[in-house]
Amino acid sequence: MRLLLWLPGRLLGALVVLVGVSILIFAAVRSLPGGYADVILGSLSSPEARAALAEQYGLDKSIPEQYLLWVLSALRGDFGTSMVSQLPVTDEFASRLPLTLGLGVIAIALTVLIGIPLGVYTGTRSTGGRSSVLGRLVSSIGISVPEFVLASVIVFLFSRFALGLRVGNVVSPATDLAASIPTLILPGVVLAVFCIASTARTTRDAVLGVLVEPHVGAAVARGESKGFIIRHHVLRNASIPILTLVATLTAYLLGGAVIVETVFDVPGLGSYLVQALGRRDYAVIQSGVLLATVVFVVMSLLVDVLTGLIDPRVSVAKKGRWA
Amino acid sequence: MKRTPLAIGLLATALVLTACTAPTTESTAATEEQPGYLAVADPSLATGGDLSVQLDYDSVEANGLDPQTATTARSWTLMGLVYDTLVTVGPDFSIEPGLATSWDTPSDTEYVFTLRDDAVFSNGRPMTADDVVGSLQRLLDSKSDWSLQLGQVSSVQATGGNEVTVTLAAPYTSFLGALANTPAAILPMTEIADGSVDITTTMLGTGPYVVQDHVQDQSWTFGPNEHYYGAATRGPESVAVDIVTEENTRLAAIRDGSADYAFFNNVDALDLLGGTENARVVNQQNTDFYYLIINSQNPDSPLADQKVRFAINSALDRQEISDIALAGQALPTGVTPATLPGACPAADLPSEKPTTDEIKQALADAGAEDLDLTITLYNTEPALAQIAQVMQQELAAVGVNLTIENLDIGSFVDKIYSSSPSDIDLALSWYAGYGDAAMVSKWWNGDVSTFTAGFKANDPAQNALQVAAGSEPAGAERDATMVELCASVDESSELVPLVTRPGVIGYRTDSLSPTINTNEGYGSVLRDIVDYRMIDAG
Repeated sequence: MRLLLWLPGRLLGALVVLVGVSILIFAAVRSLPGGYADVILGSLSSPEARAALAEQYGLDKSIPEQYLLWVLSALRGDFGTSMVSQLPVTDEFASRLPLTLGLGVIAIALTVLIGIPLGVYTGTRSTGGRSSVLGRLVSSIGISVPEFVLASVIVFLFSRFALGLRVGNVVSPATDLAASIPTLILPGVVLAVFCIASTARTTRDAVLGVLVEPHVGAAVARGESKGFIIRHHVLRNASIPILTLVATLTAYLLGGAVIVETVFDVPGLGSYLVQALGRRDYAVIQSGVLLATVVFVVMSLLVDVLTGLIDPRVSVAKKGRWA
Repeated sequence: MKRTPLAIGLLATALVLTACTAPTTESTAATEEQPGYLAVADPSLATGGDLSVQLDYDSVEANGLDPQTATTARSWTLMGLVYDTLVTVGPDFSIEPGLATSWDTPSDTEYVFTLRDDAVFSNGRPMTADDVVGSLQRLLDSKSDWSLQLGQVSSVQATGGNEVTVTLAAPYTSFLGALANTPAAILPMTEIADGSVDITTTMLGTGPYVVQDHVQDQSWTFGPNEHYYGAATRGPESVAVDIVTEENTRLAAIRDGSADYAFFNNVDALDLLGGTENARVVNQQNTDFYYLIINSQNPDSPLADQKVRFAINSALDRQEISDIALAGQALPTGVTPATLPGACPAADLPSEKPTTDEIKQALADAGAEDLDLTITLYNTEPALAQIAQVMQQELAAVGVNLTIENLDIGSFVDKIYSSSPSDIDLALSWYAGYGDAAMVSKWWNGDVSTFTAGFKANDPAQNALQVAAGSEPAGAERDATMVELCASVDESSELVPLVTRPGVIGYRTDSLSPTINTNEGYGSVLRDIVDYRMIDAG
């Protein structure tokens, strides 16, 4: 019931965020020096040619007028046309999104399957022990090594030596799901390394924090098994920061995908947005940022809901709202 | 004893690193298989087969797929697979037949072209003289960049069933060179006129291939043009072009054989692919060259003083720039690209003569000691940053402190071309050099290249030299004019040519036997594709 009362407020807040971001990004991309005509026509072009191109795409109209036209179109489901490909932005996104989603799914799956168990393992071992030190070392390296370095090394190794997987020739999950997996594994793993490392680190810290709580001591005193204690007392209470992190990482993956997609030549959404920024392909940039905002807002909303369900104490009913 | 695992670990690491290091081999980068060719396809191999190519960027043009307004080398390369031109260029930049089998020049302003009688558009309609006339007229009317390169054309007329006559208003030596590039392609004018073909979205030419599929910024698939006049001797049956922006990924494709042929902008590719089994990498010289803008148009800047600009120009060592920034693969050049016939020798430029002490003295005399300047460049051309770093050291030696400002291309263009005077001290970029020295030198002619007005004075004397270089017939007299033009450009030191812009091509020797010319004028990295042979085509 509280959820039903709380949700409309949060949705309204999300809507305000989206409108704010749309205004901000619209103003930001148009204040960038150099427009589409400058980039595409190049330095040799005449001012007349640039003006004609600006008129062709309505870039000669005032900024508020352009914004209004874009918003009205977006409300009808038309997010504009890419000036580069002359195709609707929604079509461009639809062809690229499955690849970025595929990478994200691989990265999050590896994060959950490796990062959380690794964090629990190192968190439940003695802090000075070999496994704890090793876990922290692995986490530190994973967090520290930049994605472009790791990606470049992987590209070199897998192209230089026959190691079973190839770089490039990516197949979209939308075309052939089974065939896409081997082509997305390498970039997916690179994308996952930072997520695994940071999740392991956060999980370890959360587990260590819960382990010193009195109720865990009481469970030990009651003679409950170690596995039971970890599953029912430690993990449940440590799950909130982990959940928050994994949700944040999910949103982060769109940004992280930029580098990985570029280095591995994956024609996904991340690399497309960077390309669009360089070319001042306004409709693509605006829609891409809006999409990323939606993902982030939805994930935040989801985390809030789940957090409240996991730990009702977090629900701030006392403060007059649900979470 | 406990140290044994550590020692083994170090040894193993050393072995792995050794294995990862490309073995040093004798470079074949500049070795010609035949005069003018770095590689020549084996004609004994069968025609046919599927060629896989990786290029660095896709064609992105304001007018889509219209070749006449295309401005970038990749557009010319890709559209050149579908379209033919009246003439083409040979390995030594001599003009060779294309859709015109021959041409006469009854006077120095008149060109009479005899057309092939077997050229057919890919829709099955034979090419006519009207297509040629209409195409050239359309190009002239377009006022595009390339229409400037055609010179002053008075008329284009069909003077016979298979004959077209072009009359110029004034002699123009570069005319045939301008006709040899993709923007001068012959279009299906009947279909364009009746609206059955939109040339901005559909490519319909007389060339060897037709477009089967194109995904912007991702890939092109070309199939055979069944009506191509040279179909019997066409090499690959199909061409798959992947657009791979990341250089390392293209290197990977040549290493593991997932691409037969790839182009690289970075000369480091020569080393990075060196020693790769079943692969060869070559440095193809271009007429393209890097240049430095020294903004003369800001009256408040010390660079408004020609003596200061010339001193800065003189402090630059072009050979050192090539050696350090471009692995010695580039050639010092004046305004006439060093790789073109009749180019002025860069070593003879006036700026090559002053010593370091003389340069310092010149700066002191001009009251420009301890100058702080900013050099602006853009980040999609990695060599620019490398060149700027070398220049930073060279200018430091004469007391000029150089700060490097590396922008994205939009900001770069905006900063240089959106205001007059331009909002820069120095800037680095490159020009395509084309197939005749008078073509690129147009950008030094202020009457033609109004876009340089923000940083370069319009010098009537320099303009006259440029026009003379374009109108004099090839020979000693024209070469002397070019030397004079080079000296004038060098003395004014506003738009300073530095070194040529090399391109690197890598290919698999176990799958492809290509023909690659030593020097390229139009960035057409697939120029002789119809001569390529796939090893397993038979």
